[in-house]
Amino acid sequence: MTTKPIGGQVHRRDVLKAGAAAAAGAMVPASLGMPEAQAATSSTLVVAAPATPQSLDSNFDVSLGTFEAVAALYDNLLEFAKIPDPKVPGAFREDIADHPDKPAGLAVQGKLAESFELDPNGKWIRFQLRKGVKSNWGNELTADDVKWTWDRKFGLKAIGGFYLSTLGLENPEGVKVEGPYTVSITLDNPNPLLAKLQPNLYAPIFDSKKCKEVATADDPWARKFMDNNSAGFGPYRLDQLQRGQQAVFKARPDYYLGKPAMETVIFREVPTSATRAALLQGGAVDVAQYLQPLEIIKLRSLPGVAVDSVASSFMIWLELNSKIEPFDNVKVRQAMNFAFPQEQVLKTVFQGLAEPLTGCMPNIYAGFTEKFWKYKYDPEMAKALLKEAGMASGFKTSLAYNAGDPVQEPIAILYQTALREIGVELQLKKIPAATFYNAVSERKQPMIFYVDSPWCPDIGYSMTLYFNSGSFIDYSNYKNDEVDKLLKDTARTADENARVEMMTKAQEIVMSEAPWVFIAFPGYHFARRADLKGFTYYTSNNIRFQDFSRSA
Amino acid sequence: MHLLRYIGRRILFVIPQLFGIILVSFFLVKLIPGDPAVMMLGPTASEESLHDLRDKMGFTKPLISQFVRYLHDVVRGDLGTSWQTTQPVTEDLFQRFPATLELITFGLLLAIAIGFPLGIAAARLKRGPVRKFADYYGLLAGAMPDFWLALVLIYVFYTKLNWIPAPLGRIDMAVVPPPTVTGSLVIDSLLAGDLDALSSSFGHLILPVLTLGLINAGPILKMTQSTVERTLASDFVRYAEMCGLPRRVVLRQAIRAALPSIVTIVSVLYGFLIGGAVLVEIVFSWGGAGQYAVQGVLNADVNPVLGFVVFSAVLSLIIYLLVDLLYFALDPRMRG
Amino acid sequence: MAGATMAAAAGAPAAAPGPPWRQRLRFFAAVLRARPAFALGYAIVALVVATGVLAPLIVPYGPMVADPNVYLLPPSWQHLLGTDGTGMDIFSRVLAAPRVDLTIAMLGTLVSAALGATIGAIVGYYEGQRTWRTALSTFVMRAADVLQAFPVFVFAIALVAVFGQSVRSIVIAIAFVNTPIYLRLMRGQVLSIRRLRYVEAAYVAGASDVAILLRHVIPNAIAPVLAQLSVNVGWSVLLTAGLSFVGAGVVAPTPEWGSMIAMGFQNVVTGQWWPSVFPGIALGLTVFGFALVGASIEVLADPAQRRVLSGSLR
Repeated sequence: MTTKPIGGQVHRRDVLKAGAAAAAGAMVPASLGMPEAQAATSSTLVVAAPATPQSLDSNFDVSLGTFEAVAALYDNLLEFAKIPDPKVPGAFREDIADHPDKPAGLAVQGKLAESFELDPNGKWIRFQLRKGVKSNWGNELTADDVKWTWDRKFGLKAIGGFYLSTLGLENPEGVKVEGPYTVSITLDNPNPLLAKLQPNLYAPIFDSKKCKEVATADDPWARKFMDNNSAGFGPYRLDQLQRGQQAVFKARPDYYLGKPAMETVIFREVPTSATRAALLQGGAVDVAQYLQPLEIIKLRSLPGVAVDSVASSFMIWLELNSKIEPFDNVKVRQAMNFAFPQEQVLKTVFQGLAEPLTGCMPNIYAGFTEKFWKYKYDPEMAKALLKEAGMASGFKTSLAYNAGDPVQEPIAILYQTALREIGVELQLKKIPAATFYNAVSERKQPMIFYVDSPWCPDIGYSMTLYFNSGSFIDYSNYKNDEVDKLLKDTARTADENARVEMMTKAQEIVMSEAPWVFIAFPGYHFARRADLKGFTYYTSNNIRFQDFSRSA
Repeated sequence: MHLLRYIGRRILFVIPQLFGIILVSFFLVKLIPGDPAVMMLGPTASEESLHDLRDKMGFTKPLISQFVRYLHDVVRGDLGTSWQTTQPVTEDLFQRFPATLELITFGLLLAIAIGFPLGIAAARLKRGPVRKFADYYGLLAGAMPDFWLALVLIYVFYTKLNWIPAPLGRIDMAVVPPPTVTGSLVIDSLLAGDLDALSSSFGHLILPVLTLGLINAGPILKMTQSTVERTLASDFVRYAEMCGLPRRVVLRQAIRAALPSIVTIVSVLYGFLIGGAVLVEIVFSWGGAGQYAVQGVLNADVNPVLGFVVFSAVLSLIIYLLVDLLYFALDPRMRG
Repeated sequence: MAGATMAAAAGAPAAAPGPPWRQRLRFFAAVLRARPAFALGYAIVALVVATGVLAPLIVPYGPMVADPNVYLLPPSWQHLLGTDGTGMDIFSRVLAAPRVDLTIAMLGTLVSAALGATIGAIVGYYEGQRTWRTALSTFVMRAADVLQAFPVFVFAIALVAVFGQSVRSIVIAIAFVNTPIYLRLMRGQVLSIRRLRYVEAAYVAGASDVAILLRHVIPNAIAPVLAQLSVNVGWSVLLTAGLSFVGAGVVAPTPEWGSMIAMGFQNVVTGQWWPSVFPGIALGLTVFGFALVGASIEVLADPAQRRVLSGSLR
């Protein structure tokens, strides 16, 4: 599958390799008993992934492989507490629910920070850092590291800049070093995300001492170094990186929480999902990432292999570009939704592994509601709406899809046939994986697929990404003044109840205006060897090697 | 010395040809839509940093000066960097070309082993089952889509019969490859005496080589058959027969005379397969150079495509030169 | 086989009088009888072309109608070749594909043949003469060299990438890739024909260059070009299929054999082999048919071959 965004940013070359190769389709029949070489030892974890990390610098790279790498090499100030997954015994997930009784109203706990204090109005946060935490270069964690990390966001902008604007942090002075192990962040305006953003995958802390050592006059923020190396406080260090082949990580014995169970992690690039599935089945790898629905179903029935299917923050939908006719007319957009054979797509393309997208944000985030969903498949209704919009004789338009995502083409074809019934002629446009993201962000296509997940488990955050008319990710060009106002207000108060109320209203408006054709919540399906335990689901949709161990 | 002068002259001719190739491919590839700067920096990049990157990569200059700069780099051996692999293209190609060459060399050897004897047999026999089979096979083989045949072979020999290892790449993931001598895993394993690597790389090589061999045997068969047939019908053979020379000797003479054309078609096939084996490479995840170039084109990664074109053009030209030298050896008429 | 030969000998064309086209036809029939393979080729091509023309009338289901209720069904009486991953009927699509494939292949081949043969004839005719024409000829030939030195497949993909995915771009790609072949072929033919006496005679008689080319040279040079045409159409279908396979071919869900194979690849992995295998068979057979036709034209047109063949006819 495709993209993994950071809180909404999306793939650019995410499925780069998976893209072109998968489009061409290398194939390996999965139904074999032929055992491949066994995964080396019980403390080695072998992962078959669509791509190796491109750059290891979380300020720039949103490619698939980088997520897992960053999760292993870096740690954050805070993290969410873990709870068992309600659907899958033995699996865990982040506790992202609202806990009004807890500080910050969330089940966050200290990671690199031993403790934290949050202004009830959400204007400042103060961290007391753990003492004696060493980086992979042997440097101790101090408040300077936190400051330097945030300064880097200011210095380089890019992804860091996104975090800054989400928090409303205008200048570096807001991040203050108050003691060797004390650091605070102060905002001009209250912001409900101050604590919630800290566990975000792309907000880890860098080892500033090492970075400053390798920085040069041309490269004051150690960009070159960070592309290929890590300087952080995470449980693993990078042993080798051969892009296009594999990355090898080694556990750090001096990790402050104790050495992880998996001593060595081999992260191999296997561009085609069929091959990843076959390798998993044969025992050559422990984990096969991003498989297709049919492969998952097949694997489920085999011995020695297990698939953990958990609810996730992923959504897949079609952007209806409201700046391109006839999608500037809300009735037409609604008609497009009524004409979409959602149930059939879920049954055939997703093989029942996905849930219907009945809202405009992840259904695992507090505040999600599906009560405004009304688009059950109804071609008659669609025709009536088109008539009201003055397009009784139908129209022609085109849908662009990602060649690298195997579910998109079948969905497009099914939709094409269904649309003929209401007189809409759909032309399909296939775009290679690496350039797909450009096509999305250019906003020139009338209809285009999008797969995304907002990483920060916050209702305001999720809605702002796609429906704030000023948001970079508002690829459908959706603009509604009332929604904009609601979003703005939601970002300025820490009162959860008020926020939920405002965002419920926003969802109501958005759902009725239908800027998207709502397809599915694809879920997250983790395919692994049966003896691998510890899988934990994160809203950033990646795995962390430090969670895993083997059952005896 | 005559030979050296000939080689020298040929190499001299090669230079303008190479220039032409680079020229055409450069401008063609530049036309492919896609902005690498956006793709490298991601969505959140500011317009400013995008522009900076484009400047640094030279995209803001007029095409002509970009071309000159590229030529300048090529002459120094710098083929640029691929933004997909973040490696220099030269390195990427050095890793991948041996894979492609191993594949097509063995593939063509198999094709010759199949096509050549069959072609001769077909030329000798005017009728009979062998002739019929050769006739059909010659044309049918060249008609099959190679990616489809690969699929069928995988399905039969891997899925159903389980005779060979999973078709992923050139060697098992867990097996350590032998030290590089020729670049061919099979040969290098032999040289290193590494049986594990040998059996693994050989096992992975079987199906793709079989695919290429079976298909390319067709044209070789046909060419052999028609050339030998024509030679057998020609005057000097008639004369030899009339002189009472034994059939076998006559046949050998005929084959000898037919060799240049066969060498031609093998060389043409070889040149074609350098870029033409890409579909087989993709099916078997071979990690070859053609696959690399195709990914480059599809993802608007300019340098790999250009690098590949240059490499393969140079290779083709070398092959043609070698072939012509082979002609000298084979055909006495040319030596004069 | 002996019986067939006797029958062929009985109908040997040399003996029968009659209008020249009748003679040719009889010879043609004799050849077909002597080499049944050729007959098979013509039959296949006729079948494929007929299918291409009649497809809209004979397909049991719409070739682009996706019916999720019949998703990935194995071959059965309702769906002779089964259905694919979006519920489209494979039999209908296999029947509808020649329309697309042949149109592209024939268009591309014809364009390249017309272009290449024309340029080749001119180049061949003027080559060696001490005028600027020779320089032009040399330049054209070197340009053809350059074009032919390109890795064909990568070049084709690049062209499609530049012009956008459409039937037009594939035709352009095929035309580009094949023009040098016809150019060389024609040039070679013309080079040898122009030495012949009757051409010299025409020249001396004062016929213009163009007239000589049109009336004497080209008609005699055309035979190998025709043979090449047929083979080339087959090969172009393969190229189109290959392009579609990597995703640089026709737009989905246009029925096209290569694109069908590509769409079905993932399904073979999970055990459903029919979406990919059947189109491949159809594709191979079609190319085979065209190759046979091309081989037969070569035999029919080439005097040397005719001699060999006549030998086997008696």
